[in-house]
Amino acid sequence: MMLEGIIDIRNISFYRGDRAVFKNLNCTIAAGKITAIMGPSGSGKTTLLRLIGGQLKPSQGQVNLFGQDIALLSRKQLNHLRSRMGVLFQSGALFTDLSVFENVAFPLREHLNLSSEDLYNRVLLKLEAVGLRGARGLMPAQLSGGMARRVALARAVAIEPELILYDEPFAGQDPIAMAVLQRLIKHLNTQMRLTSVLVSHDIAEACAISDQVILLGEGRVLAQGSPAELQASDDPAVKQFIHGEADGVIPFHFAAPPLQEELKGLNHD
Amino acid sequence: MRKRWLELSVGLMIVAGVSALIALALQVSGGNMSRNTQNYAITALFENAAGLGPKAKVTMAGVTVGEVVAVGIDPNALMAQVQMEIYGQVDYLSIDTSASILTSGLLGEKYVGLTVGAEDDVLVDGDVIEDTQSALVLEELIGQFLLNFGDNT
Amino acid sequence: MINFIADLGAVAVGKLVRIGEALLMLLQALVVRPKVSSFSRLIQQLYVVGVQSLIIMLVSALFIGMVLGLQGYTLLSAYGSEQAVGQMVALTLVRELSPVVAALLFAGRAGSALTAEIGLMKATEQLASLEMFGIDPLHRIVAPRFWAGMISLPLLVAIFSLVGIYGGHLVAVDWLGVYSGSYWGNMQQAVDFNEDVLNGMIKAFVFAFLISWTALYQGYSCTPTSQGISAATTRTVVYSSLAILGFDFILTALMFGGTV
Repeated sequence: MMLEGIIDIRNISFYRGDRAVFKNLNCTIAAGKITAIMGPSGSGKTTLLRLIGGQLKPSQGQVNLFGQDIALLSRKQLNHLRSRMGVLFQSGALFTDLSVFENVAFPLREHLNLSSEDLYNRVLLKLEAVGLRGARGLMPAQLSGGMARRVALARAVAIEPELILYDEPFAGQDPIAMAVLQRLIKHLNTQMRLTSVLVSHDIAEACAISDQVILLGEGRVLAQGSPAELQASDDPAVKQFIHGEADGVIPFHFAAPPLQEELKGLNHD
Repeated sequence: MRKRWLELSVGLMIVAGVSALIALALQVSGGNMSRNTQNYAITALFENAAGLGPKAKVTMAGVTVGEVVAVGIDPNALMAQVQMEIYGQVDYLSIDTSASILTSGLLGEKYVGLTVGAEDDVLVDGDVIEDTQSALVLEELIGQFLLNFGDNT
Repeated sequence: MINFIADLGAVAVGKLVRIGEALLMLLQALVVRPKVSSFSRLIQQLYVVGVQSLIIMLVSALFIGMVLGLQGYTLLSAYGSEQAVGQMVALTLVRELSPVVAALLFAGRAGSALTAEIGLMKATEQLASLEMFGIDPLHRIVAPRFWAGMISLPLLVAIFSLVGIYGGHLVAVDWLGVYSGSYWGNMQQAVDFNEDVLNGMIKAFVFAFLISWTALYQGYSCTPTSQGISAATTRTVVYSSLAILGFDFILTALMFGGTV
């Protein structure tokens, strides 16, 4: 059942205005594994996630999800496809006027026809998996950032999708919260036999749990492989990112004329 | 609990709004809503219809029985022709009814006052009132006053 | 100079494009089969949009009615026609002030709230979440708020008129000594239901449409940052107000322009 859950990205180009975010990008995301999409700011990581989720359409090329080209799907078909995947947004995106319980119950009510008993139990189980069963009566405004994200995670997996997309799950979290999320992502992937795709630039955390890493840069895939392979790579661009070097292929200085020419009071005419 | 209050208040607001509308209809506007049934049209010719316009009241004994529809010129008689719409229920205007143009209050709103005559037959749709009294024009009044004044001295 | 004209043209085309987008958004939001579940969302929005605007409407109507009574009495007593103050207050309110002032207040209170709410939902990715759950945010979020606006404002305008007239009564009759019978009697003579009250209600519906549409579009299409939301909220109030005043003139000319 799980073997079909591949995302196949073929030769896509995506433009934002005049700027090419991607040009002829190719990559494949394997089923059942955790894949991390990484890269410096502006490399298009979140854009790629949105292309996979069908929120954006590529200017050229194909995004194949579960074997179907999503650009060719009707609205109804796209929605059906979306019921097979869950998304965890960077801000959690909980519905502010619903309680924690109602937030997690939301996709269940929309897509499934469960008895109220079954629904209740399901919600409780999902909240239990993220450790927040006791918080089910709270409103999103009462939750800390980390807790909100965990509730959003419970909501994303509520209908037991085959694929989950995480948009910067570790961003801005304290070490404990990060460890909790890491554990949850790994645990859910194994336990529910999901395919997980996470976008992040927290190298240590992402590499610790990923099976595959795709490094984006300059509108294309710079490197692809297991975390160990990328750590050992000789490619200067890969090295700079993985080892967190301040200056390298991506320069430290923004383009400017030489310093001597710009300082005042020196006779350089 | 919160939901109860929500639904209740929305219901109250709707009730308040609809009652306000009804109150406006009855209390504020005098409830003259449908005047279309079986109203009939009559015309009157005046020498001077100054200040009379459409929507002016047509009254009898001080009670509104219709309204002025249009004021124009009768090219044959070379007089002002006032077309009026009289309510259907008012079916007792004799054919020798007279019409006068009167002024209401100090602000000078003009209206038509009807006085019923002695005949048995009544006015029906399309009839013309011949016995009319024109509007009082201030200049003519002054002229008349001066004339009388001049006579007496 | 040529550049200036070209820029002006670009701005104009840009505005037309925006209006087109707004129209598409509205059509997509409203063309849908009504479901039982959407009724409870409507009730919720009626509360937020309508009931929570009641206080400001009631207070404003009362004060406006009272001022009209006072000013009217002062002006009319110069002609010895204080008895006409009832019809003056009623006609002014019912024909003009109730629809226009209530709409302006509504745009400021409910309109800006709608824009801010939807803008914030956009910024916190709640709208994108709904899409990813296979739910059209236009149907779920925008449509109930639109209908709530269309239903609430006309009701509020009717209430506004009535409260204003009572405000006028308070000042003219209770305070300044106009005879209560004349207040109501003259009013009933002068105010025509079809001509005055209904026309005022038509205005209310037109304004409700303009405000709801503007507020929802601005929220839905704003830049999802705090600056973007704030700018969108301001635009809602400004555009709504201008539209209200502009359409008021057009409607007044159409409705009351023929008669003197």
